[in-house]
Amino acid sequence: MRGIWAVAKNTIKQALRMKIAVVFIILLFVLLPVLGITTTGDDTLKGRLQTFISYGLSLTSLLLCLLTIFVSVYTVTSDIKYRQIYTVITKPIRRFQLLLGKLLGVMILDIVLLVLFSALIYTFAVYMPKIFKATDEELVQVNNEFYTARAALNIPEVDVTGEVKERYEKLERLKRLPDLPREEIIAELTKQAQLEKRAADVGGVLIWEFDNVKPLTESMFIKFKYDVAVNPPDMQVYGRWYAGDPQYVKYGQQPPTPFYDNILKHSIQTFHEIEFPADVVPENGHLAIAFMNVSLNRTSITFPPDGLAILYKADTFTANFIRAVFLILFRLVFLACLGVLASTFVSMPVAILLCLVLFSTATISGFVIESFDSLSANMSMFYSYTIKWIIRLLPQFDKFNPTKFLVQARLLSWSVLAQCVVFMVFIKSSILLLLAFFIFSYREIAKIIV
Amino acid sequence: MEYAIETFSLTKIFSDWWGRTKVYAVDDLNLQVRQNEVFGLLGPNGSGKTTTMKMLLGLLHPTKGKALILGGDGANPKINSRIGFLPEESYLYKYLNARETLDFYGRLFGLPAKLRKMRIEALLDMVGLKAVANRSVGTYSKGMARRIGLAQALINDPELLILDEPTTGLDPIGTRQIKDLILKLAQRGKTVLLCSHLLADVEDVCDRIAILYGGKIQTQGRVRELLQQSHKIQITTDAISDSTLSKIEQLIKDEKAEYEVTSPMDKLETFFINTVAQAQRLAQPTSGAVSTTKIGGFLVQDVPLENILDKLVSSPVSKETSQEAPTTEKVPVDEDSGTEPDKQLLTELTGTAETSQSESDAGEEKTRTEPVESEQVPQETQDQVKKDILDRLTGRPGSQNDKNRQTD
Repeated sequence: MRGIWAVAKNTIKQALRMKIAVVFIILLFVLLPVLGITTTGDDTLKGRLQTFISYGLSLTSLLLCLLTIFVSVYTVTSDIKYRQIYTVITKPIRRFQLLLGKLLGVMILDIVLLVLFSALIYTFAVYMPKIFKATDEELVQVNNEFYTARAALNIPEVDVTGEVKERYEKLERLKRLPDLPREEIIAELTKQAQLEKRAADVGGVLIWEFDNVKPLTESMFIKFKYDVAVNPPDMQVYGRWYAGDPQYVKYGQQPPTPFYDNILKHSIQTFHEIEFPADVVPENGHLAIAFMNVSLNRTSITFPPDGLAILYKADTFTANFIRAVFLILFRLVFLACLGVLASTFVSMPVAILLCLVLFSTATISGFVIESFDSLSANMSMFYSYTIKWIIRLLPQFDKFNPTKFLVQARLLSWSVLAQCVVFMVFIKSSILLLLAFFIFSYREIAKIIV
Repeated sequence: MEYAIETFSLTKIFSDWWGRTKVYAVDDLNLQVRQNEVFGLLGPNGSGKTTTMKMLLGLLHPTKGKALILGGDGANPKINSRIGFLPEESYLYKYLNARETLDFYGRLFGLPAKLRKMRIEALLDMVGLKAVANRSVGTYSKGMARRIGLAQALINDPELLILDEPTTGLDPIGTRQIKDLILKLAQRGKTVLLCSHLLADVEDVCDRIAILYGGKIQTQGRVRELLQQSHKIQITTDAISDSTLSKIEQLIKDEKAEYEVTSPMDKLETFFINTVAQAQRLAQPTSGAVSTTKIGGFLVQDVPLENILDKLVSSPVSKETSQEAPTTEKVPVDEDSGTEPDKQLLTELTGTAETSQSESDAGEEKTRTEPVESEQVPQETQDQVKKDILDRLTGRPGSQNDKNRQTD
């Protein structure tokens, strides 16, 4: 254990004195305040805050990721290249302990820097309204829509398999099946059926129910986007929104809790938020939201798949921010393990290149997975047993992107965090580390000199 | 455990990428290094000396065969904690200073903080880098780096010391000091494996040697047996009168033996050491390593660990700088280091017959270069300067003996 600690200390000294870390630290110290002053967003305070937090955290994350890759690769490969390792592993320290020490050093450095810079970003974000002398109106807006962590309840997906099957069989009986493979017809029918569940003709009503709603504040929000069949002349439609106890919304029974009922006019094809009082949620946490396409409109209205969500404050901005910083930390853990692994079998430039490639792939892993999924429709057997698993081994940095949550003030729940820990740290990083231990323990350390 | 190091058909073949044999670096090597022996591994460049050492330490895997070191595997931390290793070059972390470097290695051994600190100071003192200990080792000359390399190999007070070309890059004083150190360690029952192609170094210190060529042992045995010319003898005396000399010559002629009469010369090493000592005495500044003949206290004293600690705590560690006058003998750890034979020599030189036999008894066996002639320096040259220089520097005046042997 003492050996591991000695190596860790030495690694930190190396990163600092060889000036690798210093470059990144200076860069961040200069760029973060500059960002704080220069970002304007859409010129509102909220926009300014969103841009700053997005750029600031992304920049910190990016630079620390690069720093982690460089330091973890450098510290192992330079020991091998400059042969200090000869005198180190002939001391009573096992090879995996040496790697652990290196990793520990990199992680300590990362944690210190991450805490430092995220504290800087947090302070800036919190004092920005004062710096830019925000109006009361702006303050209310940012308090509701930025300095908060809102849980989102999305439209629950309706199971339409039975319905689709029925329709398919009907078409089959009538011999009106299009000349396409069965899977494609089913997929098309499913899409249609689901769209119908989100569509309201003139006078029609859509009802959604949500469980376990526990708002922390007085207001809740319906966030939605309208799609229409026929564009109205002013590109605006009316909607009557209800919120409250499902007993009332569905059956008209008088509930003990108040309810919300309002007709509003909104433009189509952009997101809007309606605020409604949180006390419409009954004790049991059961909430119903209903939308009525009022007869003032002359078109049916649909909601796109991501077009409706109920938002409510579930936690504080600070807690959300801390969890977001943890997401960055988990990334760094993964990259440090990756760097150590790469340097156990290739030299420094190759190891860095390898890490950078994997890092960028992980950053767009959602896209990569999606494109491989669609590409491989014809060779699904081959794909699902080979490439798929390799791609799944990549961490999904975009799925666990902290700015995505903070900019929209979305709740980054503990369960998301736990998911990230389990997959990115406990499974993927551990695999990398074990592989690194294995390779490093069995490879020949000395170079071949005859 | 009879042997400190034992190899069984140790073979290392370097292959190319396709697995085709390229070089037999070490070929079927059976090496036995006994406990408490200074063993020299000799050979020209590329004869497999370093490869053998790396296999012993687990830095390379043998293609075939097996190596036992202190009865175990060289990659085992338990074994490692009893070994000191100095590679062919001192590979150091350039950004650390000397003290931090030793501290790092001390921590790897898990030495407790107090003991670590004591040993670091003692070792810095010994290798003469105390004055520059706060400079990063990246700025050190090769010889200075070598000294730190040696210090790191000694920080755990190893049972077995493996030294790969220990004297490369060192000045003659450093070389002499390493040789003295090796002998001292051997006296204390340590084992030393020395790998070198500097034959003079090996000859001075090794009990047994093996000469490697092409990865194979060409010859091995005791140095004395390998080198002794048993058909010749050598007599060295003080300057004697011509008449006595001619009498002796006559006696030899009667024996019908061939002979040669010369005056023994000082070895360049001795001369160099004396010159540097003179400069140091005049307090000329240097930014380099300070030459000392000191040997770290914990390395020369056979006392339990706790006692070492006590001793180190109680002993005034000398604040050595380049300006320092050569009066460091007041450090108690010094007294049973290289200075003892000098005192003996001095007493002989100044005519007092009583010599301290304590050291030479042990030394005689190990150091074949112990003075057999002593009165060659005229008594009137025994001024204070000489006394100081000798006290300080000439660890073992064995050089003259070597010279004589060569003049046969």
